[in-house]
This record gives sequence, structure tokens and C-alpha cells, in this order.
Amino acid sequence: MYIIQYIQSFLLIISAIFIIIAAIGIISLNKDMKNVVYARIHIIGIFDMSVVLALIGLGEYLLAGIYFILVPFTAHAIAYAYYKSEDTLNNKSLEDKIKEEEDITENPFIFSKEDIQKAEKEDLVVDTSDGALSLSTLKISEDE
Amino acid sequence: MDILFISRFFVVIALIIMMLASLRVSAYKYASTGLFGCSVAVLAFAIALIFIGDMYNIKFSFDIALSLIFFGFVGTIAFAMTMGEEN
Repeated sequence: MYIIQYIQSFLLIISAIFIIIAAIGIISLNKDMKNVVYARIHIIGIFDMSVVLALIGLGEYLLAGIYFILVPFTAHAIAYAYYKSEDTLNNKSLEDKIKEEEDITENPFIFSKEDIQKAEKEDLVVDTSDGALSLSTLKISEDE
Repeated sequence: MDILFISRFFVVIALIIMMLASLRVSAYKYASTGLFGCSVAVLAFAIALIFIGDMYNIKFSFDIALSLIFFGFVGTIAFAMTMGEEN
């Protein structure tokens, strides 16, 4: 009886160590690395399998089986969503699509920051020789 | 306290560390990292609930954990399908 308890506790401690290693790895990955999202999903796979190990150590075999089947679908779905919507490094069609959308949605009221800075630097020349430019102010008192 | 109780406690602490790490990851710039950060946080919380319920003999925590695992899975798949569908 004691041997089974020792095996269970050994499995639990091993899985806990793996979970802590996965947590450290998922935080310490470089943000600017290429394909970092896929690397994080890979590390989450380590976490999932160590959770399966922990559930076996706890004696929840059915739940471990359900978890073992369900969780890879989640990881694959997240990787697929990233590839289809945000991965401009590997998905070249996505890059073309973003360029097309930028060309289509050209708003006449939105200017880029560079254009505004350029316009501010230019001196505005106003021809006032013919008196066409005039300024007027309107005073409104509270009685009116 | 026997060694089995201590090892379960150790797993719960590891799961809490994983929850905090995944919540940190969910704040990174891509939407998909937010998605899997939330998903891992929910899964880690559910597994921690199973362990705590087993340690302190709380029966309803197992049901809550099962519902979290299933609905978290369904929500993640639905969000990923919505993100990945072609316009």
C-alpha cells in the first residue's frame, strides 16, 4: 500500500516540476523572436501532458483521458487562428490582404503623422495685397 | 501529514504559478496569445480545484472543475474559429 502512495507522490512531484519549468519558460521567451507564439503553444503542450500525469497520479483516469483528447484540439485551433489572422511572417497572403485593405479604406479625413509634421514645417504664404483676406470678430453680449 | 498530501500541495502551488504566468502572457500584443493565456489560466484553475477538492473532501469542486474544462474548451475553439475564418 505504501508503494502505491510513493508512486503517486512521485508522479505528482514530477508533474509539478514540469509545470514550474513550463511556467518559467513561457515567461522567459524573447518577445522579438520569430514564431514566438508557436513556441509558447509548444510549451503549453508540455504543461498539458504534465497535467495528464498529475491526474493519473491523483487517480482520476477518466478525466486524464478526456483532458488528453481535448486539449490538443485547443492548441491546434489557437495556432490555426494565429496563422490565419496575425502571422504576417509565414502567411504571405495575409500580408497582401492587409495591404489591399489599407488601399481600400483610404479615409480623406485621416492623415499620417509624417504628413502633418511636414505641413507644420512649411511656411504658409498668404497673399494680402488685394485685401481679400480679412478677419472679423463677432461680439455677443449676454443681454442679446 | 503524509507524503501524498504534501505532493498534492506542491502540485497546487505549481498550478498557481502557471496561472500567474499565463495571465502575464495573455497581456502580450497578439490576440491569440491572449486567447491561449486565458485558456491555460482556466485549465490550471480547474485542475487546482480538482486537487483542492480531493485534499479537503469538497465534492462540488469536481463538478465546477469539469464544467470549467468543458466550457473553456468550447469557448476557446469558438473564439479560434471566429478569428481564423476567412472573410
